[in-house]
Amino acid sequence: MLKKTAAERFGFVPFRENVLYRRVPETPWYQGDGATLTTLLMIQVITGITMTLYYTNAADHAYDSVRHITHQLTLGWLIRGIHYWSAGIMVVMLVLHVFRHLVLGGYKAPREGTWIVGVFQFFLVLTMSFTGYVLRWDERAVYAVGVVLNMFHNVPFIGDELVLLVQGGPQIGSLTLTRFFSVHIWIVPLFLIGLVGFHLYLVVIHGVTSRAEQKHPVRTAKEQKKVYKEAAHSEERGEWFHPRTVLKTGTMAFAVFSIAFLVALAVGPREMFPEGNLIQQSMPREEWWFWWYSALIAQLPPAIAPIFYVAFPSTLFIGMMLLPFVDRGVNRGLRKRPFWTGFVVLCVVVIIYLTYLRTKSPWTGWPDSTPPPTPIGVVISEEAESGRRLFARYGCNSCHAIASHGRRVGPDLARIEHRMSQTELRNFILNPTEDVPMPSYQGRISAEDLDRIADFVLVAQTFPREITVTGKVTER
Amino acid sequence: MERRSMMKWLVRCIGLATAAMVGIPALIAGISPVWMYRPRRNVWRSIGPLDDFPIGEMRKIIVSLPEEEWGRALREKAVYAWRPSAEEAVVYSRSCTDLGCPLTFDPGSQCFFCPCHGGIFDKNGKRMAGPPNRPMYRFAIRIAGGEIEIDLNSVPPMA
Repeated sequence: MLKKTAAERFGFVPFRENVLYRRVPETPWYQGDGATLTTLLMIQVITGITMTLYYTNAADHAYDSVRHITHQLTLGWLIRGIHYWSAGIMVVMLVLHVFRHLVLGGYKAPREGTWIVGVFQFFLVLTMSFTGYVLRWDERAVYAVGVVLNMFHNVPFIGDELVLLVQGGPQIGSLTLTRFFSVHIWIVPLFLIGLVGFHLYLVVIHGVTSRAEQKHPVRTAKEQKKVYKEAAHSEERGEWFHPRTVLKTGTMAFAVFSIAFLVALAVGPREMFPEGNLIQQSMPREEWWFWWYSALIAQLPPAIAPIFYVAFPSTLFIGMMLLPFVDRGVNRGLRKRPFWTGFVVLCVVVIIYLTYLRTKSPWTGWPDSTPPPTPIGVVISEEAESGRRLFARYGCNSCHAIASHGRRVGPDLARIEHRMSQTELRNFILNPTEDVPMPSYQGRISAEDLDRIADFVLVAQTFPREITVTGKVTER
Repeated sequence: MERRSMMKWLVRCIGLATAAMVGIPALIAGISPVWMYRPRRNVWRSIGPLDDFPIGEMRKIIVSLPEEEWGRALREKAVYAWRPSAEEAVVYSRSCTDLGCPLTFDPGSQCFFCPCHGGIFDKNGKRMAGPPNRPMYRFAIRIAGGEIEIDLNSVPPMA
């Protein structure tokens, strides 16, 4: 009796009737991706708030405060770990959620509003996933800010103004960090949580794409409502939202969160790189959920790159916003939308491939003082051995690999199709052809050093394409 | 105008006025860096005596950054400097002209390498590979009292 009165007095009755105990069409477990995203967001809020109890957003102390959370605070490492891994998995789930709705046609009438609100959420979550790792204020964070500033700098007419707006001050520094802190802790979460509430409200009002809608063409919102209602109230094709749908989608949400939790337990949070600085030699890298994008950027020709940085996100946003009004097809569901199914499969394959490519980064040249290895048991002449060491000293191995060992900017010299003669090699080193990004060594290498390097490359051309090296490769 | 329409109009006006009274000052304060730091005044910093730079040798120099009003974290930044000839000195920003990753000079190949997306520049700052579509940023320089000075604000604000 008391329970009933309390429910009535606190206004739970309409909620119970209209949200919890409502009939919905039968929902497969994999439609729990939305519930998973909501759960992960709540987890981000809780772990994030916990960290703000200790985090300092003054640039002089931010890095140390994150170290304190990670190394001194009881279970701080776990909180940071859950926050980090949930963030990454949230981005993955978000992309899958969008892909699923592209395949299903989940933005079709009457769900255009649900989709449009979702588009804003999509970009806000991506903003969160970026601004979050800036707060660590380690080397990677500082250069990540630099990357974003450079992207804004490409906006026509107002590039410099946008840089100052995002940077918050005349250079990257304290004012930048307080700005990113405010965006990550206040501005975006406020909008994001509000929009999630709105999105869920619209999901309750309009439901999610049901199997019944996928069976036959559905032309209008009125027709959809009829089909949806019939399925929801049918004994076989409908179910109670609570507890049946909630149990299925909730189980998926729990399972996905468990992955983040277990990974956090097993490997802990993201390692800390040296404190933010603009001095040391550094090889920064974005977080793994942006690797594919980074690999895509690395493929861009110079004429396209500056346009791409502005055009790609803008086109993506405008395209997503217009999609419900452009795609007027009457079919919903995977089987009846082969174009979108193919498009999504292609996107997934491309993203996975580009992510893999970033792990190799074959486009990156880098100084390396270690001479390349030789195959075990192969004895090379004294001249070639001297050339092997000069190969490193003249920076040849900053770009060239030998039998799969080293950088891949230039060709692997054990794998070149056309073997070059000593004279050809000498000429090429002194005057490389225009079409290759190789510096000319004319005037800065002695004839003897040139001969020794050519001696080594001649031998290297005969090495197997791949050689195994036991132990550490050191200068002999 | 009907009484009811008039009331609706009033409600909208009161709402808008409240939002504007707080929203506009908040927005102006929030975006003020856009005009506070423009135009960018010259900030000259010495990178050392001219004689410390042997002709042809690339050197990495650390310069101090100007103080912000109430605190700063990144007190210094590295730049690359060299003298192609007795009459000429060149000072580069380490920022890649593609997306700003920190370039590293390789004394062996005499090239600058970007660690991110494959940008490679030669010793003259000219692009050799990767997405950058312009040469490396060069600081404005002057010689004062036998020292090379650079204007920190002569490159874009994020460089």
